[in-house]
Amino acid sequence: MSGESAKATGSRSSLARVLSALSDRAWLLLGLLVAVGAMLPTAGLSGFYLTVVVQMYIFAVLALSWDLVGGQTGYPSFGNMAFFGFGAYTTAILLKDWGVAFFPAVLAAGPVAVVFALVIGLAVLRLRGGYFAIATLGVLLVSVQLSRNFEFTGGASGKILFDIPPENTFYYVFLAILAVEAAVALYLTRTRFGYVLNAIRDDEGRATAMGVNTTYYKTAAWMLSALFTGWVGGAWGAFNTFVDPQTAYNLGWNVELITMALIGGAGTVAGPILGAFGLTLAIFVVDTVFPGWQLVALGLVIIATVLLLPDGIVGTLEERAAAMEYYEMGGEAAADSSAAAADETPGSSDPDVGDPEVSDS
Amino acid sequence: MALTQFVVNGLLVGALFAAVAVGFALIWGVVGIINLAHGELLMLGGYVTYWLVAFSGGSGGGSIWVALATVPVALAALYAVGYLLQRLLVTHVADADLFLTLLVTFGVSIVLQQLAIQAWSATPRSVGAGFADPSIVIAGVFIPKIKLIAFFGAIALTLLLWGYLRTTRRGRAIRAVAQNPEAARLVGIDVAHTRAVTFGLSAAIAGGTGSFVAMILSVQPQMGLAYTLKSFVIVVFGGLGSIPGALVGGLLLGSVEELTAGFVGSQWTLAVSFSLLVVLLLVKPSGLFGRSVEEGEG
Repeated sequence: MSGESAKATGSRSSLARVLSALSDRAWLLLGLLVAVGAMLPTAGLSGFYLTVVVQMYIFAVLALSWDLVGGQTGYPSFGNMAFFGFGAYTTAILLKDWGVAFFPAVLAAGPVAVVFALVIGLAVLRLRGGYFAIATLGVLLVSVQLSRNFEFTGGASGKILFDIPPENTFYYVFLAILAVEAAVALYLTRTRFGYVLNAIRDDEGRATAMGVNTTYYKTAAWMLSALFTGWVGGAWGAFNTFVDPQTAYNLGWNVELITMALIGGAGTVAGPILGAFGLTLAIFVVDTVFPGWQLVALGLVIIATVLLLPDGIVGTLEERAAAMEYYEMGGEAAADSSAAAADETPGSSDPDVGDPEVSDS
Repeated sequence: MALTQFVVNGLLVGALFAAVAVGFALIWGVVGIINLAHGELLMLGGYVTYWLVAFSGGSGGGSIWVALATVPVALAALYAVGYLLQRLLVTHVADADLFLTLLVTFGVSIVLQQLAIQAWSATPRSVGAGFADPSIVIAGVFIPKIKLIAFFGAIALTLLLWGYLRTTRRGRAIRAVAQNPEAARLVGIDVAHTRAVTFGLSAAIAGGTGSFVAMILSVQPQMGLAYTLKSFVIVVFGGLGSIPGALVGGLLLGSVEELTAGFVGSQWTLAVSFSLLVVLLLVKPSGLFGRSVEEGEG
């Protein structure tokens, strides 16, 4: 490594240069990747492999949505699948009981999840740290129970859906949701909104003291997270042709999506997407080779990630780049590099959840 | 009449909830970990009792005494599990971000739960099914003997832990570590060992309670999360670091759940008790018996 970068003549180490080059061209990269994604079905992707890629998109949206609140804002939700379930039920009920067409039914899922998020957020977003985490887990479990008890949700047997569009339509729906969310997240991390979220994560008290209405920003991020989770839930419900409490609020997925964001790098835009793609593939492989053991493997992956790679892949790379630069270029480059790092992802990459206290706001 | 019966049922079960919650509060207060695998430790304790009774040939009609004799085994086995869990795993994240400790214990909970499914299948099992179970009837209220035994067993476990923390040298060391690990280290306390002992005790009381749960209810690999959440509700209610608070909280939660089950339907219990929790957190975040960890009793 050091021999390679000793050749670098500029003021940046090679790793830092690569990272900042990628970051400068993030929009171009996103456009290219979406274009490639859009061409995959015409290039012959179908059947099982198409399902795998769809699954990758679904989890990327879930992980990225979680990260808006969990990684960027420092409120680690353990109940994001509640919004997925709300979305799935909304679409299922609209399609089946109200006879609404497919696209409006899926579109409605997001706003409905947002309304729920607003109501729930007003209560739980006043909690911090562990209290917030467990309160959100409780919200999820209560949602499962309510969906099982109510009549209009179809009770424990759920709802079976017929007359859904062909597989390729779903492929493009999921790709579109992911593309829009990635663009929104990328845009927000470079605006005041994104910086305020990071400020809340790093020190909510100080952000409040600086005159920021943290409640407003937290709630907005939480609703944005619910919007995309709800959309992907709605589309998934139709894609799955079946919605019931067990699958709509999949407790296994609930942990998977957090792990994906963490493995890739919480608090970044690329991290959760990469983590979701990688872990979804890994889970498919484990499921094929050792059926029934994928959750054991997931648990072990979580433990290993927390112990070995708590900043995630993207976060660790950024840190490594900054450290290399510091050692190679000496003191004057250090200031330069931290400015560059701030460019790539505002703020540090470790989500500081603070003490388990109720926030002051 | 029904009301009294429901409350009595609730108090009987509530003592078990309280015992689990005390272990949960102990590890939270001393090591600063919200252990999301706490319910799985209870599940393991339940299986220790189930299998010991089954191997002694009594799964369908064994005596209560055999089942009770397995409680110390569950305590010892889970003490070992807890001690090792802290020493090998949790100690590496104990000082890290709270979110990471939540996630790592969630990982442990998934692994234990899934291994239990692989090993013992997802079928609910109970050792109590075969017990001749005469009830004591007081003023028309039925009190099954086995539930009464479990009630006193759970209270005994709670009081034992309380006495241990209050009176023994090790108990004082645990409370010292809870208050200030640095200062504890300065006066010669082996903090790493003390934390591992604390985790062991926490796991042991969960395991012992699991034994009683196996006798009066049933054990099942996925039962853990509900107990972890109940523990959380109780600890928040009673205040972190207050054993009497946890005891009152447990008995109250048991009553609320039984009343909900009796008057509304058992499928609503979780929704009701969790909604109460959220309301409580918003109204009085330090708990009804709340004290800060610094002046708590461990």
